[in-house]
Amino acid sequence: MTIRMRPVLTAVAACALLAGGPALAGPDDNGLTIGLGEEFPNFDGYINTSRDGVVMTRHIWDTLIWRDPADFRYRPLLAIDWRMVDDRTWEFDLREGVVFHDGSAFTAEDVAFTLNHYADPEAGARSQRSVSWIETVEVVDDYTVRIVAKTPFPPALEFVAGSLPIYPSDYFETVGPDGFGQAPIGTGPYALTGIDGGNYILTRNADYFDGGGKGTPSIDVIEVRTIPDTATRIAELIAGGIDWTWNVPADQVAQLSGFPGVTAELGSTMRIAMIALDAAGRTGEGNPLTDIRVRQAINHAIDRETIVANLVGGNGEVINVPCYPMQFGCDAEAGVVYAYDPERARALLDEAGYGDGFSVDMASFRDRARAEAVQAYLAAVGVTANLEMLQARASFSAWREGQIGMWYGDWGSFSVADTSASMSNFFNGGVNDGARDAEVIALLETADSSVDPAERQASYSEAIRIATERAYWVPMHTIVMGYAYNEALDFTPHVDELPRFFMASWR
Amino acid sequence: MRRLVVAVLVALAVSMITFVLSHVAVDPALGVAGDSATPEDIEAIRVQYGFDRPLVVQYADYLGRLITFDLGTSYLSNRPVAELIGERLPATALLAVMAIGFALALAIPLGVVAALRPNSPIDRFALFLAVTGQAIPNFWAGLLLILLFGVQLRWLPISGSDTLAHFVMPMIALGSFATPALMRLTRAGMIEVLNADYIRTARAMGLSRLSILFRWGLRNALLPVISLTAVQFGFMLGGSIVIESVFAIQGIGYLAWQSMSRADMPVIQAIVLLVSLAYIVLTLLADLLNAAMDPRIRTKA
Repeated sequence: MTIRMRPVLTAVAACALLAGGPALAGPDDNGLTIGLGEEFPNFDGYINTSRDGVVMTRHIWDTLIWRDPADFRYRPLLAIDWRMVDDRTWEFDLREGVVFHDGSAFTAEDVAFTLNHYADPEAGARSQRSVSWIETVEVVDDYTVRIVAKTPFPPALEFVAGSLPIYPSDYFETVGPDGFGQAPIGTGPYALTGIDGGNYILTRNADYFDGGGKGTPSIDVIEVRTIPDTATRIAELIAGGIDWTWNVPADQVAQLSGFPGVTAELGSTMRIAMIALDAAGRTGEGNPLTDIRVRQAINHAIDRETIVANLVGGNGEVINVPCYPMQFGCDAEAGVVYAYDPERARALLDEAGYGDGFSVDMASFRDRARAEAVQAYLAAVGVTANLEMLQARASFSAWREGQIGMWYGDWGSFSVADTSASMSNFFNGGVNDGARDAEVIALLETADSSVDPAERQASYSEAIRIATERAYWVPMHTIVMGYAYNEALDFTPHVDELPRFFMASWR
Repeated sequence: MRRLVVAVLVALAVSMITFVLSHVAVDPALGVAGDSATPEDIEAIRVQYGFDRPLVVQYADYLGRLITFDLGTSYLSNRPVAELIGERLPATALLAVMAIGFALALAIPLGVVAALRPNSPIDRFALFLAVTGQAIPNFWAGLLLILLFGVQLRWLPISGSDTLAHFVMPMIALGSFATPALMRLTRAGMIEVLNADYIRTARAMGLSRLSILFRWGLRNALLPVISLTAVQFGFMLGGSIVIESVFAIQGIGYLAWQSMSRADMPVIQAIVLLVSLAYIVLTLLADLLNAAMDPRIRTKA
């Protein structure tokens, strides 16, 4: 056998030699290689709203204003100043001297063109919520622009700062939306200079303006590699093939910390996990979950503290409200809290006529261990949850199409720090809404559109109180994000789950 | 001719099944619409993409375009499906050729050696390899290879498809899965052939051992192996989803996986159709090759 194996090994070794040293970006040439899990169908930030896509968008383009990830305050970016003209109109003074990656000048015309283009549903922005509030955008002069909302829209600045990148109007019109999505140009700190299959090259924009909230980028070249398999990404990190990755499972973060040269950490996020319950009876009228006592029983049956302590890890926290407590309007005090009390759960089930239990379909995607823990807690009070672990999108679709009674999912609010991006997304009567409570829908409508912060807050608080009292969800916990990177990299994770490599540098 | 008609019918049936399944399994409008879409957005998309029409009409439309080689446009990237597949076909084809080559290079010599000395330690060893190879799931084999050659020894690049070296580990992981069946078939065929009368005649005629083994023995023993190779090759073209994901190879399998998780129906349909066509063509080729090597099959066909 040794004789037979030798040629194979020789061939393997020869191939390794042929490949030579891979020309990967690294600290020596001030480059950074990152590993992401998902390839982008398109670079257009209005079309590609996946998490990894949003990360790219923030590097290639700028928004008018910048929300500082440390204190959530707004700071200048493409706009140097802004003010409310009336309850529907915001005016922005634009920065002069900013150029796009192709050298053309940035003016108010670009802002008006981009936002007007995507405010039209025909343009096909994937996240209509980000743009549908815009009625029109007017050019006042070359460096002044006004955004007019259809109705008073309190979270306007959150969207302006978060999900509305500004495109060069001339170039966009020349190449068309599809051409733009494949060869984008922006004002951002990095320019996309190469696409090869799932690998992308971002090159530092040497002409990037000073004084914006994003600062001045330090790393010269960012090489982005798509590696779908988590285990492979981790192996690449250990072997030095990549310098940074995320979505590392909590248990592996602990193991990775032991490797020399690797920093691994769990960062808090504003993503919340919940078990949504089919209170409206979409899976069948009169099913057990339409009974408030059953939903309260389920809330009492699950020991969330234990799940968080053992299976979430890091700074994960139990939540008692259907929103992220740092969001505007998310009044953590307003939520009715259900303590872990299996006796009480059994009594409530008995009262509802389900003393012998019942069975229900539950889908989840992020973490099998947590979903199975929930399954076990439910089994302990007699509820059989048929768990189906699916891909994220498939499991979310199952919930939205009303095929499952329980969905243990999570929601990142598009990193928008306003309750309209979390609770309103799930209780507004739309496809995500498994409760369809007219009272809650009306309260949220008021809260989402009022310009009076006090009225907004009061409406959200009341909506939260009703939704938790009627136990439409089991609010579970915040999600922690696992990061792993080369220990020589100066990198700070933020709660909005948006890594900012323009703020990173090699030590 | 009859074979060709059957092949076309099979392809048609496959296209129908994938079409219906992919429209029943998920609501494509929801997939396209995104996470925060309102019911109105979804309805608008349903009309815009024609999802509101009866399934039969949608299928007829799809077939009509298929005949003109129009595979449609990806919902997500808005690019022609043919272009997406064309970009990724080379990586998958290269991997499949390397893997089947690796499997044959390992399976045939092992099978022959095992057949020469049935129940000897060599035979036992070959059988052990075969059982182990089949028992190890290929994603796990892939990870073991990554740990050994990528992390420990650092001989090979772990993921990507830039150089030939990137294909070595995926080749082993994918090929080792096909090896056991091929080896056992070679072994069984060789044992049978070596006990056949014409081999005894050849021995009696004083032909050299090597000539008997390869010219008369292996050639006959390989007939079933060719058919199996064709099937395995088809499997590799379509079934390397796991391996391509593990090693981040930008191929058809990875595209299929990605499209499935995003409900990008035109891409999924095209890939399934392509893979089934590959199967059909490969089996046809294997039959022809068998006929060329064995006149007895030719008369039957």
